[in-house]
Amino acid sequence: MWSEILFMEAPLPSPPSPPEAMHGVAGAWAEFHGYVRADEHGQKISALRYDIYEPMARKQLAAHIEELAKTHGLVAVRFWHRSGLVRVGEASVYAAVAAPHRKEAFAALGELMNRLKKDVPIWKAEILPE
Amino acid sequence: MKILYFAHVAKTLGRREDEVSFSAPVTAEALWEKLLTLRPALGQYRATIHLARNSEYAGPQDQFADGDEVALIPPVSGG
Repeated sequence: MWSEILFMEAPLPSPPSPPEAMHGVAGAWAEFHGYVRADEHGQKISALRYDIYEPMARKQLAAHIEELAKTHGLVAVRFWHRSGLVRVGEASVYAAVAAPHRKEAFAALGELMNRLKKDVPIWKAEILPE
Repeated sequence: MKILYFAHVAKTLGRREDEVSFSAPVTAEALWEKLLTLRPALGQYRATIHLARNSEYAGPQDQFADGDEVALIPPVSGG
């Protein structure tokens, strides 16, 4: 199974085409883009600051992806997450999965995002407007 | 043993790491005892923090030794 896990301080670039690994094998490539909203828990914010324990976050994500690949037949996964300051309106996360059919792709993508929020060592802090 | 702090814990302590030493491997309880003596402000977070040893969540039976990298993991909030 092909996978890519990247953490980046710079704004997320436009994702490239789905990886070659899925060609002819997967019929579905499902993507999720997460953006920073101006309202966090009822409070106006200007940005979020992400802190990541990268070696462990990478390990946790790789383990989750491996499990999801087995249960949903994933062929490829691309996962990008911002670190540091991410302003309102900017993307903080991009996740995409390839599976034989859309049902497995959507289910795995949702589960990956749920697992991200469960035990992957990434934290966000609200930055208030000046 | 390197101790790593993140997020609001690091902010409260004003530092991202510490170095502590033990003459023999210790339990999580003994490690906490030392950390709370060194950084009393950690007390308010203890109930919500999980310990990770060498980039993996530690189990209740795990021991911690010099040379390990131990991270204090408060509740996560990625995405």
